[in-house]
Amino acid sequence: MAHSQKTDLRIGVDSGGTFTDFVIHSGGQLTVKKVPSTPADPSIAILQGLVDLLPASQALIIHGTTVGTNALLEKKGGRIAFLTTAGFEDIIFIGRQTRKHLYSLKGEERSYIISPRLCFGLEERILAGGRVEKPLRKNDLDRIINILKKEKVEAVAVCLLHSYANPVHEEVVAEKLGQAGFKVSSSSSLLPEYREYERASTTVINAYLLPVMDRYLGELQGKLEGAQLKVMQSNEGYISAEKARQEPIKTILSGPTGGVVGALHLARAAGFRQVISFDMGGTSTDVSLIDGRIKRSTENLVGDFPVRLPMVDVHSVGAGGGSVIYVDKGGLLRVGPQSVGANPGPACYGLGEIPAVTDANLCLGRLDPEYFLGGRMKIYPERSHRALETVARKIGRSLVETALGVVAIANASMEKAIRVISVERGYDPRQFSLVSFGGAGGLHAVEMAEHLMIPRVIIPRFAGVLSALGLLLADSVKDYSRSFIRLAQKTDPEELERVFGQMTEQALADMAEDGFSPEKVLVERQLDLRYLGQSHELTVPYRPGHFHNFSYLQEFHRQHRRLFSYYHQHRPVEIVNLRVRAVARAQKIKLRSYERCPEVPAAARIKKQWLYYGKEKYRVEVLDRSQLLAGNRLPGPVLVVDAESTTFVPPGYVATTDSFLNLIIEKAGRT
Amino acid sequence: MSQFDPIELELFKNLFTSITEEMAAVLQRTALSPNIKERRDFSCALFTRLGETFAQGSHIPVHLGAMPLSVQSALQAVEFEPGDVVILNDPYKGGTHLPDITCIQPYFVGENLCFLVANRAHHSDVGGITPGSMPLATEIFQEGVIIPPLKLYRRGRLNEEVLSLFLANVRTPEERRGDIMAQVAANSRGARRLGEMLARYGLEKLTLYADQIQVYTEKILRATIKAIPDGLYEFEDYLDDDGVSPKPVKVRVALTVRGEEAWVDFSGSSEQVAGSINANFAVTYSAILYVFRSLVEEDIPFNTGLMKPIKIIAPEGSVVNATFPSALAGGNVETSQRIVDVLLGALAQALPDRIPAASQGTMNNVAFGGFNPSTRANFAYYETIGGGLGASPGLPGLSGVHCHMTNSLNTPIEALENYLPVKIKQYALRKNSGGYGRRRGGDGLVREYQFQVPVNLTIISDRRKGRPYGLAGGLPGKAGVNLLIRKGRRKNLGSKVNLKLEAGDVLRIETPGGGGYGRPEE
Repeated sequence: MAHSQKTDLRIGVDSGGTFTDFVIHSGGQLTVKKVPSTPADPSIAILQGLVDLLPASQALIIHGTTVGTNALLEKKGGRIAFLTTAGFEDIIFIGRQTRKHLYSLKGEERSYIISPRLCFGLEERILAGGRVEKPLRKNDLDRIINILKKEKVEAVAVCLLHSYANPVHEEVVAEKLGQAGFKVSSSSSLLPEYREYERASTTVINAYLLPVMDRYLGELQGKLEGAQLKVMQSNEGYISAEKARQEPIKTILSGPTGGVVGALHLARAAGFRQVISFDMGGTSTDVSLIDGRIKRSTENLVGDFPVRLPMVDVHSVGAGGGSVIYVDKGGLLRVGPQSVGANPGPACYGLGEIPAVTDANLCLGRLDPEYFLGGRMKIYPERSHRALETVARKIGRSLVETALGVVAIANASMEKAIRVISVERGYDPRQFSLVSFGGAGGLHAVEMAEHLMIPRVIIPRFAGVLSALGLLLADSVKDYSRSFIRLAQKTDPEELERVFGQMTEQALADMAEDGFSPEKVLVERQLDLRYLGQSHELTVPYRPGHFHNFSYLQEFHRQHRRLFSYYHQHRPVEIVNLRVRAVARAQKIKLRSYERCPEVPAAARIKKQWLYYGKEKYRVEVLDRSQLLAGNRLPGPVLVVDAESTTFVPPGYVATTDSFLNLIIEKAGRT
Repeated sequence: MSQFDPIELELFKNLFTSITEEMAAVLQRTALSPNIKERRDFSCALFTRLGETFAQGSHIPVHLGAMPLSVQSALQAVEFEPGDVVILNDPYKGGTHLPDITCIQPYFVGENLCFLVANRAHHSDVGGITPGSMPLATEIFQEGVIIPPLKLYRRGRLNEEVLSLFLANVRTPEERRGDIMAQVAANSRGARRLGEMLARYGLEKLTLYADQIQVYTEKILRATIKAIPDGLYEFEDYLDDDGVSPKPVKVRVALTVRGEEAWVDFSGSSEQVAGSINANFAVTYSAILYVFRSLVEEDIPFNTGLMKPIKIIAPEGSVVNATFPSALAGGNVETSQRIVDVLLGALAQALPDRIPAASQGTMNNVAFGGFNPSTRANFAYYETIGGGLGASPGLPGLSGVHCHMTNSLNTPIEALENYLPVKIKQYALRKNSGGYGRRRGGDGLVREYQFQVPVNLTIISDRRKGRPYGLAGGLPGKAGVNLLIRKGRRKNLGSKVNLKLEAGDVLRIETPGGGGYGRPEE
């Protein structure tokens, strides 16, 4: 395989949304492209976009895909079976024995991706320490394999009790199933960590996606005529298409992850390392905190099911441009979480009557009806007025008061999401910059930042293709974990070193297989720690050979204190998991920097319109973003429109265009 | 149309709940008791200076009505000063049962008490005659340490004497200390956020909306009650026994709906009993609020406004309003469920198309403890087991989940086996235990424990004789079974039991199925 670092042509392809986005890096130049998506077979749009670039056997293509997510959410994965220890066949269905809604007399509908008929128990038992209590009976397995063949099962998930401590039985089962021609997802190789339900759920979802992703990526690879195909994972780095076909669950949130990586790199280039990414779209808003590096979490739910693999810590809230505005039974004005969706869309789209957040913005003059989506889409302001007027009458307020209320309420729920990832985790928003992208973000970002006392909003250049740009800039990352349950004070340092050593070897071998020689790979070690008796772990870095000075323990106490405002200096600390993370850095891409020009953006002026803010009405300039030059200074109130979105700079704020053509918005007088 | 600002109140509603959610995040992540951290058996809330709840998050329904009662009793018992933290668990002073410890912190502006923040969490052990503090007792003194409202912190200083008296009376003092500190940390996070809100909006506005949010909730509940046809609806059902005598215990309700208000009358229920399944008033109150809150389809904030349109008649000295010093440990977990069952049974006559059949009607409390040779320390463990939900008119009942008054998580088997000398032999759905009907009741669970060391075991469960009722012609769910399997011989343990088990003994619990709805195969 060609060495990926030598390739000249590098392409980020994000096929999640309405458009399939391409960011192409070639000969030191970045170019951007958008092609309407083809959801039934996303590869059609991808090939259309690549048509004048292929055949290019030197090309490195990094792909962000929602094929896996959609298969799971729409329940269109493979036909799968589940094998576990006898007596525990139902664990997927029992879950954590809770109901979703505490107060509901209606009952709850549940649908699973696996049929109870295809869950089998094996006569075997391994105990907590890893000791085999009851050996595996092989003829038992042969009987099940026959049933699986008759049932035309495509993939099998295997999760035996305590296999994280001793994988011997799972290995035998996986081998036999593989020989019999099944695709296998084995819990001890995918996620060797304790807690059987979460491990089983992760393994089962992986099995479910195996046939779909194998087919999709296999076919795409075939059509790419020798270009190298990589797939973005949910953990901020990419893996080879071959690996993604074996462990598709690792790519489940590949789309949103690209956006966060893009936000990190653009902000860093502009000189900001502490960033909150804010992606407000039509139905929801995703936020994520970057404290010099991207935060990750293993406590993830995808749909209703836990996936315990490290993923970029993206917090979602049901607030977007399409969030429904209504008055509830008690007379309160409510916004969302339901959405009008793309069809009928907000009332101004001309198809429906239900007012949404976009309608409120239109009524406030914060959108220019002639330049919606860069003028590509016709909208009807009078329909927004009519729809919102109905709501205003119900609460006895004027149209403008109601629209301002809608914006404030939508901002409050997004503000809450940002609090969860910042204040709740011990970070002070005042030290961060908000990087806003997504269709609706620019209208809300500055007001929200003001409430959270975030001093700066960055609307990046490339905001419309930030996910694809993130793919292009991403590193290759592989994560490994293993449960290792011991008291820290009683752990044998040599044993710890030995296990870490094995994991590191595995990581380097896998990286070598992808064409990265060991000197190109950065290996980090981490420990999941908790006070003895707790059930929530914190992940702290561990440097080889640093066992005896217990610096990792100090780091644990420090983190515990930051997160929870107290710590127990003398309480025994328990090691739960060992983690190894291998990173091969991507080739650096230099963003083009522009000469500073005069402060007045004369060429960008389009028109003037009325806009409402607070209790006042303003006559504001509407500017065309594509005509802004580096060094332009835009005192608010002003609107900036581009092909994807509109940015509102309120009175008292100033936007400046930096040398990379990002818009940087700060309080007037600060700059 | 409305007397409050429909925009600002919505904003404040969001802000209030975000505070209680943040408190919950702190408590869950730092506590040591499995009940708190894994099973989320806790609640966090904000109160006006009069002790009215204006926001409550992460609710365990059984804490709903009891939280304001305990804050009110603390307000009566102690003179709050800035920097104080008050703890209490006395069920006769607003507590639920002894393992639930409430921690209250006042919020002062200058010298004026303006708000209180509080949380309540289920501790693994608070002393008493058996490990886990869920004994089959006959008076409350046997159930553990009783803590009346006491200052754990006085003007910001920890009162070590109060804490050490408490810790000296429990089996796992280090764990208790950790849990209490987690509760204190959660409150101080809540108080800090309240302070930030105060700085942003001012005291006047905050006080106004703390009141208005209750008016809003009350208004929606009134509209909900108004939609129930006026009338008198009666229903009765039984608990198997009280663990002391084999006599069934009756819970009877007469529900009167008139306009926007409801009268809930428990006259005719059994007298309080010798065993521990007595409910104090706070528990009964919580169960009633749970039912009415569930009738509301909107997502409304929980606060004292819910209590205003409901009048309760619970005769003193009865099993739904027991007097000191009755034993109470099981009233909170078992009798509360039966109170819900009878209320829903009454409501089904008024709203036949909305009310589901009976759910498992028990929490299947299992507590055990002993000496763990591998850690050379005593251990105490407590868990509850899900079962079948009753079928609703539109859907079959869920299987293997907790119903009504609790929604606590199970403990992972791999966690249990790593930390305790016990092996789980089976954890499965109990097939065909749900009642037949046009909609099937949900199935119960089977959980089989094998103990590797001798343990002292207590089970408080119900619906081992009586069965969860079906509705509209649906059949009842199967009754549960508690079995001891010793050297191959099976022994039925009944609903409630305390006994010493030997190493190698197997305990098999089969939980009840939910009732069915509608005649099968119509």
